[in-house]
Amino acid sequence: MNTALNLLHLLTPESILVETILVVLIAGLFKATAQKRNMLLSLTLIGGVTAGAMLIFQPHYGNIANGMAVLDPLTRFIKVVVLGLSLITAVYAVQSNIRQHFAEYLALILFTAIGMMLLAGTENLLMIFIALEMVSIPLYLLAGFLKQSSASAEASLKYFLVGGVSAAFLLFGISLIYGTTGATSLRDLAQSAPAVTRDPLFLAGLVMAIVGFGFKVAAVPFHLWAPDVYEGAPTSSAALIASGSKVAGFLILAKFLAIGLAGAAGSAASSQLQPGWLPLLAVIAAISIVVGNLAALSQSNVKRILAYSAIAQSGYMLLGLSATGGTALISVLFYVVVYALTALGAFGVVLHVEQRRGGSQLHHFEGLHQSAPGLALCMGVFMISLAGIPPLAGFFGKFYLFAGALGSASQGGNLGLLWVVAIAITFNAVSLYYYLIVLKHVFVTPATHPAEPVTRRNAATFVTGLLAVSVFAIGLYPGVLLDPLRAAAQAANRKPVTAAPVQPK
Amino acid sequence: MITLNDYLLVSGLLFALGFAGVLLRRNIIIIFMGLELMLNAANLSLVAFSRFGIVNGLPNYNGQMLVFFIITVAAAEVAVGLAIIVALYRARQTTNVEDLNTLKF
Amino acid sequence: MSPILFWIFSALMLGFGAATILNRNPVASALSLVVSFLGLAALFFGLDANFIGVIQILVYAGAVMVLFIFIIMLLDLKAEQRRQINIPALLGGVAIVVAFTAQLVTVIRSYKAGNEPFAAITPNLPDAHNIGMTLFANYNLPFQVIGVLILVASIGVVVLSQRELK
Repeated sequence: MNTALNLLHLLTPESILVETILVVLIAGLFKATAQKRNMLLSLTLIGGVTAGAMLIFQPHYGNIANGMAVLDPLTRFIKVVVLGLSLITAVYAVQSNIRQHFAEYLALILFTAIGMMLLAGTENLLMIFIALEMVSIPLYLLAGFLKQSSASAEASLKYFLVGGVSAAFLLFGISLIYGTTGATSLRDLAQSAPAVTRDPLFLAGLVMAIVGFGFKVAAVPFHLWAPDVYEGAPTSSAALIASGSKVAGFLILAKFLAIGLAGAAGSAASSQLQPGWLPLLAVIAAISIVVGNLAALSQSNVKRILAYSAIAQSGYMLLGLSATGGTALISVLFYVVVYALTALGAFGVVLHVEQRRGGSQLHHFEGLHQSAPGLALCMGVFMISLAGIPPLAGFFGKFYLFAGALGSASQGGNLGLLWVVAIAITFNAVSLYYYLIVLKHVFVTPATHPAEPVTRRNAATFVTGLLAVSVFAIGLYPGVLLDPLRAAAQAANRKPVTAAPVQPK
Repeated sequence: MITLNDYLLVSGLLFALGFAGVLLRRNIIIIFMGLELMLNAANLSLVAFSRFGIVNGLPNYNGQMLVFFIITVAAAEVAVGLAIIVALYRARQTTNVEDLNTLKF
Repeated sequence: MSPILFWIFSALMLGFGAATILNRNPVASALSLVVSFLGLAALFFGLDANFIGVIQILVYAGAVMVLFIFIIMLLDLKAEQRRQINIPALLGGVAIVVAFTAQLVTVIRSYKAGNEPFAAITPNLPDAHNIGMTLFANYNLPFQVIGVLILVASIGVVVLSQRELK
């Protein structure tokens, strides 16, 4: 009885989202018109904002059934971020070419949001698996939502097959980790993991679990699905896959490694290589950066460029994880959040171009600065931020990340991770090329397309503008995002686990 | 005497078998069956570990709970996956992955 | 579980698992998969996990297999045509699988703790009762989330497989 009440108390925002979904689905049964889509969107937004408000007024700490559901300031911060990203995707959806089953589309976006929030708020291997599926299954469906389009169906199937294989690897890994340590909660795992770090079976489980997560965050060599899915899926779905699911995926990978397996880290320093997850992560990061940036050079579709750029960005984030050794998540989380905002904004511009000009090839972007100067400016902000040029937010993200990588290595008495950082900085310069190619088409190349009607303002372009402003603002004042993150992380670290107000039975 | 390692060996072989099906076959339905074999392999090793980690004559139920939830999630995933295959078949009239080449760089 | 039964059911499971991925005809594959699932359920019974074994038969051999067969019939899939085999891809795939299997088997063989015999279990264990208690006490949250997950699946399946009225 007590447990059930605590559960409801701790997960009020998620419950509100489920109720919103039911209301949206029922409202969707009435006849379809353009007004109805706006009405459904308002319902979704009202529910989402209510859930967000509930999140803010929740108790500060909570812990149910030994980490099945946890709440602390950091978790809450990430929950607000993923909820916000999902709601922005819902706004995009109104402008996209989803005409049929619009209520179901919004419902699936909200389901994804629930999954990501549960994922952010758990420290249990079983819940991690279920929440990952709760994110993945709606995303498979969102990717295949335009079923008349064979590209969409194909993207959905590829995403599904890769997701299934990754889930199987993750599960087999979890089974071996559970078997060798006897733990399913990350806190228990942290206690028993150091005893078995030399056990080959445990290491095999660790590697298979990281392979499973590697698929989810699209790191090389598990990245092949990403470009096809980004290109084939409806643009609003791709935006959610690129932003929200990436934030949630990295948060949970960081938690899994930092909380559960800090004792099995090993070392990636070139002079003192030790087996563990650190060297594995460092190598995956380096390959992702190289392959992602090189493959992006030869693309002609902006969605594919964004996909390969996302793979390279995954590499930077993994570098951050392997560098800090999980002790300081702040720089990685800062980077991930900034990346998610930027990618979401870039997809907003792509959505606009696609709707107006019928495609997302580079030549569709020609002369955008004449027909939609505001959006062209936004695209400039997003591309330059992704390339990591000051004074935009992306620069500070990379700066903290690289500084952290060098700093943590120097604590060990040498610059062991220098080789990865060197690769990262070199290929960051390479990446500048393809971001500038996009901008060249936007700003320099004259339009070859017939002039389209002047853009009317709509909610999606407004939100895109807002994202650009926030990326700009975070660049000028990194503290806007960094301070709350830092405060939340400190509060989360101070938390005495046993003194949590909501106790497991 | 059958030991834990025998169960793990069988489970590992089943996983490899499923993986081979996923990598080598070109029919989506068969690939999908390979996926199911991989999930079942994880279930077998979980139940074996649960029986092995016995305390006071009771198995470690955490492992069996994992299996319970994996079976449920897998059922939901099968439903979604087969719906995706049906949608793809309607759009393309194929169940062969080599025909999936609309998206290429 | 007596060693003879263990090896019989393991062989059944692995043999029909191999038949699943080797068969050219999808219906034959699906039926082999059922036998493989049943062999696995028998192994579960041998591990004193009776409830899980029953679930395995009901859900996998029952529901999941019916879905597979239903889809194969719905799409009217025939035995595959022989296609030009892509030799380098096939060799690469086989190499990956063989290396993976060898690695996995080596690792499992080296697991020392696993060579000890299984400890004795309480006779007449009230299996379903214990699982029910665990499920509704510690695993209450995942249980409810699974309910939402099945709602997702049913909504998605209806949307994806419905034919649009033009």
